[in-house]
Amino acid sequence: MIGKILQKDLLRKKLITLVLFGFIFLSAMLVSSGCNLMLTLTNSLDALFETADAPHFVQMHTGPLDQAEIERWAAAHSLVDVQQTVEMLAIDGTSLFFGQTQEPEADTVMDISFVVQNTRFDFLLNLDNEIIDVAPGEIAVPIYFMQQADLDIGDEVRVVTDAVDMRLVIAAFVRDAQMNPAIAHSKRFVVHPTDYATLRQAIHEVEYLVEFQLTDASRVSEFRNDYLASDMPKRGPSLDEQLFKVLNGLTDGVVAMAIIFLSFLLIIIAILCLRFTILATLEEDYREIGILKAIGIATSDIRRIYLAKYVTLGAVGSILGYLASLLLNQVFVKNITLYFGTAQRSLTMDALPLIAAGSIFIIVLVSCFIVLGRFNRISAVQALRSGSIGESANHIRMLNLTRSTGFNLNVFLGLRDLIQRFRLYWLLGMVYFFCAVIIIIPIHFLTTLQSPTFVSYMGIGHSDIRIDLRQSDDVAERYHRMMQHLHSDTDVFRFTPFVTSQYAVVLNDGSQDFITIETGDFSVFPLEYIDGTAPNEEHEIALSILNAQEMDKHVGDTITLLVADRQQDLVITGTYQDVTDGGRTAQATRQPDPDHILGYTVSLDLQPDVPIDAKVQDYAAMFDPARVTDLDGYVAQTMGNTIAQMEMATWVTGVVGLCISILITALFLNMLISKDAGQIAIKRSLGFSLRHIRMSYLATALFVLGAGIIIGTIFTNTVGQQLVSAVWATLGASHISFVVNPLLAYLVLPLLLIGAVSITTFINLNAIKASAIAEMINE
Amino acid sequence: MSILLESKQLSKTFTLGKQNEHHVLKEVNLTIAQGDYVAVMGASGSGKSTLLYNMSGMDRLTSGSVTFRGQELSHMHDQALSTLRLTGMGFVFQHIHLLKNLSIFDNILLPGYLARKEERHKIDQRARELMEHVGVAQLADHDITQASGGQLQRVGICRALINEPDILFGDEPTGALNSTAADEIMALFASINAAGTTIMLVTHDVKVAAQTERILFMLDGQIVSEKCLGKPSRTGADRKTREEQLSNWLFKMGF
Repeated sequence: MIGKILQKDLLRKKLITLVLFGFIFLSAMLVSSGCNLMLTLTNSLDALFETADAPHFVQMHTGPLDQAEIERWAAAHSLVDVQQTVEMLAIDGTSLFFGQTQEPEADTVMDISFVVQNTRFDFLLNLDNEIIDVAPGEIAVPIYFMQQADLDIGDEVRVVTDAVDMRLVIAAFVRDAQMNPAIAHSKRFVVHPTDYATLRQAIHEVEYLVEFQLTDASRVSEFRNDYLASDMPKRGPSLDEQLFKVLNGLTDGVVAMAIIFLSFLLIIIAILCLRFTILATLEEDYREIGILKAIGIATSDIRRIYLAKYVTLGAVGSILGYLASLLLNQVFVKNITLYFGTAQRSLTMDALPLIAAGSIFIIVLVSCFIVLGRFNRISAVQALRSGSIGESANHIRMLNLTRSTGFNLNVFLGLRDLIQRFRLYWLLGMVYFFCAVIIIIPIHFLTTLQSPTFVSYMGIGHSDIRIDLRQSDDVAERYHRMMQHLHSDTDVFRFTPFVTSQYAVVLNDGSQDFITIETGDFSVFPLEYIDGTAPNEEHEIALSILNAQEMDKHVGDTITLLVADRQQDLVITGTYQDVTDGGRTAQATRQPDPDHILGYTVSLDLQPDVPIDAKVQDYAAMFDPARVTDLDGYVAQTMGNTIAQMEMATWVTGVVGLCISILITALFLNMLISKDAGQIAIKRSLGFSLRHIRMSYLATALFVLGAGIIIGTIFTNTVGQQLVSAVWATLGASHISFVVNPLLAYLVLPLLLIGAVSITTFINLNAIKASAIAEMINE
Repeated sequence: MSILLESKQLSKTFTLGKQNEHHVLKEVNLTIAQGDYVAVMGASGSGKSTLLYNMSGMDRLTSGSVTFRGQELSHMHDQALSTLRLTGMGFVFQHIHLLKNLSIFDNILLPGYLARKEERHKIDQRARELMEHVGVAQLADHDITQASGGQLQRVGICRALINEPDILFGDEPTGALNSTAADEIMALFASINAAGTTIMLVTHDVKVAAQTERILFMLDGQIVSEKCLGKPSRTGADRKTREEQLSNWLFKMGF
């Protein structure tokens, strides 16, 4: 019998059933997908690192090194398990050509290196996660360039310099545990030893990766300090396995979190809708419930009838949502599959998404139990007499009709209804608020990522051009030559050089650590500081926020550097955000230590009428092998993949937000019109036309929507911004300020929402036409 | 007297499922002149309320025509029909049907503000005068839950008259009232009709019908007979006689 009642009720209220089902389905699908994405990311990353046998610690070095000395040191260190030194040939982008194009990769911000396959660990893998083995005349190209240049197996790669013109055929694409993501600015191409030897004779820019695998990976910080305190080669940054994983997982991790966040919002909306639906149904069936109670049907039996409907919806929605997620997963994990490969599926990977979808069902069930507790409060006598739960006669004197002067009467009635039945409408307002949030936050985040000012989160002030001089034997000479030229170049409006060096620093507990410091004049291209200001004096320093947190330092504190075995105290003047180099950098104005220079950078602005692109090309040729980039291109290349994923996520959340607002409007209006049928009939009998009635409901819906959008926008620009900052704090940018596209955020999107809600309102209000006034009056 | 409301071959059929049609009105021809005071009587299911709703444009007829002030209602767009109902007609229901989220005064004002035939302060003034006239002036700021049935029915009459309609429809206007309240309402109707407003009401109550001038008897969806009682005396002295005449006539009709 319950089955018959269920079937009849589900068919009678198709729209409500469909909408509720839709929310539960979407929520289950997304939470399951998000869970699967996180698990796949973690497992695939781990699998890649395991198959590649990634190093625990890597020290980059430019200049001569004594491998025998390194091996002796490694053998004497108790934490070292295996050591290898990887030699890399640095190829400038101007010497590299892909496919049949005549244009070199001059604009790339990547440091391109050619290597041979490693023999001990840190293996470079192909797309099947097999150790790459290329033949003479063949090359393996990093996935980054496969996507950027749209390359295929069999395409040609040419290396052209004054001394060599080599053509190589792409035989594989490289999965590099260290250098996969775009945010890592180094990329390794794999060639055969024979080809490598030929290139080595022509190209003399060599860098090294001094790599270690430890007996205890958890002690990598201790090992790092030991290494940096030693005489081992260290003219370059040092990195560890943890940083590799964070950088690799950044893009997809952000998407996974966005999906899970969205699914939580959806289930909240589903619960709110469920509550409203159940209460409205209770109101509708109030007299019938009273009759059932009066003839002796137990409350628990009555509740079971209602529960059956929502339990069925919850179960079916969750199951189908889980099944749909299996299809959706193929879309979301595409990037993971490409960059990391596919890990072997485990029981956990299959079970957890299913459990996640099941949790949605549990939430629905619990919510129903709570709301259906109202059955206990329904008295049979009261129900039979009144036939209605009854709304409180909430007469608000301030909104008497006599005060509606200047308002359209129907708009006034809509506003009045909103205030009088606020408890009813707040649900709709909450949903619109959530819709506004899930649409606007991703858009703000995307426009922030795309903005040229995003460089400030990379520890760089905004300039037209950036020139990076890589370490080499003659780098100091090239640097001075470049300075001379820039001083006399009339196209240059202003410029300032920065020198990056490594220093030992004494921590609070007396131990030593190493810190990378960029020295120069930070007033020319200033950063935005979270706290304090840029350093101005020789004894001042600014720290990246992650460095400051790890060292437990604040503005006004001092840190102690070790320079030529002498301690020197520097006062911290400010903290700033930096997502590059693991977020651990510092800035000072003191003279750099010539023995520990890692590199030179120059930021410059051109005169207003000088075209940037042309100048970039001129400088690239003039200062070869320096890397010359325009800042916009620098950000785009570094964050390109993340931006692309964020764009996809923004579209998804935008469409979902819009669909939710449409669905909830349809559901709410459908039920409201049903509830208000009597009042509508009375108004129609008085002479209110359908247009008048629609205007009233539309006004109410738009008032609620407007409030939802306004509060959602305020929330987004305050709490939302802090939420995003909290996520990025782990990478070094803890104070993200949204860069807002006002036209998009404050005009286009609100209009889109208003349009969608208005159209939905009109369509649903057509239902009023269906019944004759007489029928509605007499019902 | 000019014709105000007229139906020709008016028919209304309800479809209650496949091949199950219920002919409620069958080719009804009716003419109501300006100033008429008409009661429609008949057994339950005879079609009297349906006739009222179709004549007032609140229901769409199946065939035939209804003309009000020379305008054909059946082809009118919803907007035009609503305006006609708003400005030319008033309706009083058995269960009053006031809007529960408005005060009593606002319920009366609402159609007036919607029609915008004149400035609001004049509408406010007329609402107060109407309330004064019917004896509910003290209830202006009250909610509808704070008045008796009789008081609310008088409020309903004020609402129906706020736009000075040409015709006032009543569907069992005294059906939910006690005899005292019913007498008060009928007295009001008499005064309204005396002031020139045409009235057409549906009733099963002989005492109510006896206070009107024309009584139409319906049977099986058709007007089968009509009785003219003429204008009642102002003092009500002829009430008993009129009720007897009407009862005898209805008896002959089989009611």
